[in-house]
Amino acid sequence: MTPVLITGAGAVSCLGVGVPAMWKALCAAPEIRPRPAADPGARMRLPLIHPAPAEPGTDGRATRLALTAAREAIVDAGLTSSECARAPVVLGTGGGNADHWERPLAAARPAPPGFTVAAALATAIGSGAGATCVSNACAAGGFALAIAADLIRTGEAEVVVAGGAEAYSRVALACFNRMGAVDARACRPFHRDRAGTVFGEGAAVFVLETADHARRRGVRHAYARLAGSGWSCDAHHLTAPEPAGSQIRRAMTDALDEAGATTGTVGCVVPHGTGTRLNDVVESQALGAVFGDHAAHLPVYSLKALIGHTAGAAGALGALAAALMLDHGTVPPNAPLGPEQDPHCPVNLPQGPSQPLTGRHILVNAFAFGGNNVSLVLEGSAA
Amino acid sequence: MTCPSTTVLVAGTGVAIPGVPQGAGLLAAVRPPHPPLPWPPSGRDTRFKDRATRIALVAAEAALAEAGLLKDGSLTVPGTTVGTVVSSNLGNLDTVCRSADAAVRAGPAGLRVVDLPTACSNVVASSVAIRFGLNAVNLTLCNGATSGLDAVGWAVRALRSGRARRMVVVGVEPADPVPLHMVADQARAPGDRLLDGAAALVLETAQAAAGRGRPNSVTVTAYARRRDPAAAVRAVGAGKEAGLWLPPGHRADDGRPPHICAVCDMARTLPPASGALGVLQCVAAAAWLSVTPPPGTPPTALAVSGGAPEDDAAAAVLLSALSSMPRPGLPGPPRPHCEEAPPER
Repeated sequence: MTPVLITGAGAVSCLGVGVPAMWKALCAAPEIRPRPAADPGARMRLPLIHPAPAEPGTDGRATRLALTAAREAIVDAGLTSSECARAPVVLGTGGGNADHWERPLAAARPAPPGFTVAAALATAIGSGAGATCVSNACAAGGFALAIAADLIRTGEAEVVVAGGAEAYSRVALACFNRMGAVDARACRPFHRDRAGTVFGEGAAVFVLETADHARRRGVRHAYARLAGSGWSCDAHHLTAPEPAGSQIRRAMTDALDEAGATTGTVGCVVPHGTGTRLNDVVESQALGAVFGDHAAHLPVYSLKALIGHTAGAAGALGALAAALMLDHGTVPPNAPLGPEQDPHCPVNLPQGPSQPLTGRHILVNAFAFGGNNVSLVLEGSAA
Repeated sequence: MTCPSTTVLVAGTGVAIPGVPQGAGLLAAVRPPHPPLPWPPSGRDTRFKDRATRIALVAAEAALAEAGLLKDGSLTVPGTTVGTVVSSNLGNLDTVCRSADAAVRAGPAGLRVVDLPTACSNVVASSVAIRFGLNAVNLTLCNGATSGLDAVGWAVRALRSGRARRMVVVGVEPADPVPLHMVADQARAPGDRLLDGAAALVLETAQAAAGRGRPNSVTVTAYARRRDPAAAVRAVGAGKEAGLWLPPGHRADDGRPPHICAVCDMARTLPPASGALGVLQCVAAAAWLSVTPPPGTPPTALAVSGGAPEDDAAAAVLLSALSSMPRPGLPGPPRPHCEEAPPER
């Protein structure tokens, strides 16, 4: 199967702008508290979010975050303008430019479409190879990367710019408040007292390309390979996960199979783990079923405990965390969880100092409302 | 497993537009009459669904039934073999804007609990999967003018990648107040509203269809997305001729091959269809190809969308009557060693 290399990466989140800033923060594992959203119209009990620094401009906020990450990724990969021109853009976002379209009806005011993030990104980088906006809610960024890899493997593209972006959404936050699914303290996946999630803003964008294309360009560094993906749908409920987790297990095992990975070669898992009660239990049990005895010792890195639930960007930011771990050969410590891990979530969440990554694969999960599941397997580029 | 040469067949089609009973009705050059019955239909299980979901379910059920994949309302094949792609540019916008309105006026307490999951962008595709138990790929595309043909392209890709054996492709747009408001400034004539309907295709690998003994005769030969219609048409290998020409929107000659035998211009027969257009075109194309064309007529149908100055791209899909395969310059017959999808789990 055609190897798909990650040769460029860019990121923005509450940890700051840039991949180095993200890795530095991952290793430091600071305790970051969410803040009230900068939205006077956020009339809700818990208007909490982890905001990301968006560059100024008239584009929608999600577009601006995506552009920040994409520009870094393209410079990082050393893509020329002619290479950008023939690179399709695949971008996942759950809410699109919510700041442009989430507003009361006003007959006199034009209503721009919300899902223009991919098209705006393609225009900005000079891509003429088509832009695809994937709208699979909180799994959108993960699906975008999997789709990009399929574009490369089916021979339709040699290089793709792909990722996920998400900005503050008043409607999403109000809905989660209405459901009682916002944790007043922080995003605390797998914590005994978790009371819901806390959203975060962010974007992660990658340059993906074939090994041949990278070689012809003289690329010297690749973070990792995107070695496999598994896609499934619960077909169970619009908001609740299927309690048995059979379809998220299928996504994980399909991704491992496609990557040629075994449970023994996986050195870490970046879970979907949002901090909502049922999701974390179902995912923990599914990890136990997939990894068997290995699960007790398999490090799980809970990115959302640090940056919040970045929704449509979460899969892409999770993949970036995995790529950085493979690149550095290190699993950073989890954000402090204390001794209060939920006994119904028996996953291994290393705290304290960073530890060496053992195993050449990392599994990344991204799940969404509607039971949309995607799992990605990244492989160390030196493997 | 990726197999670009996998043959993809049209196993079934469905239409959910008042006054258009089936795919062949899309070929008629008349605007459908006003709906004689309440539209869209609503039952106990769809009472709180958004309009786009209710319409999409009608089209998806018709297509699955025509494909022989439903018995007593349930799938006749494992759900893990069937995926979903939905194209809709304006799908649940009404719910989102109503929720935004309520959140401003009354805070979260003003939100209707039944609206919460419906405010999620992938609600239509998820609802189709839940209703029919479709456990494979589930994708939602909001891709502008090319979205419907892109959805067909993504379904073909999912089949050729072995991620599913059958894909339900739905294109839907609801004439809710918010979408109508959004397109009001784009209306080209008084009364030029928005499509309030859907179309659906069931695509299936030839291997899976043969396993069910289904005699399907129409294949999706090629899909391409390029900067302009002419380039997209050349990329699908139809630069010289097509039996049926399904042009993009109101630009009936954009990308048109020099030799065509028939035209189905949906811009003349239906309201603006936005993200549903490409799927409607493919359903009409399948209906046209399923009838033996006159001698000398190329057994192909070419659908094109997008390519206007405000669009970022154009897309083309070429469909063929199976007897016309293989065509020069297009993928050859399936290679047996890579045709089979992974074992069902």
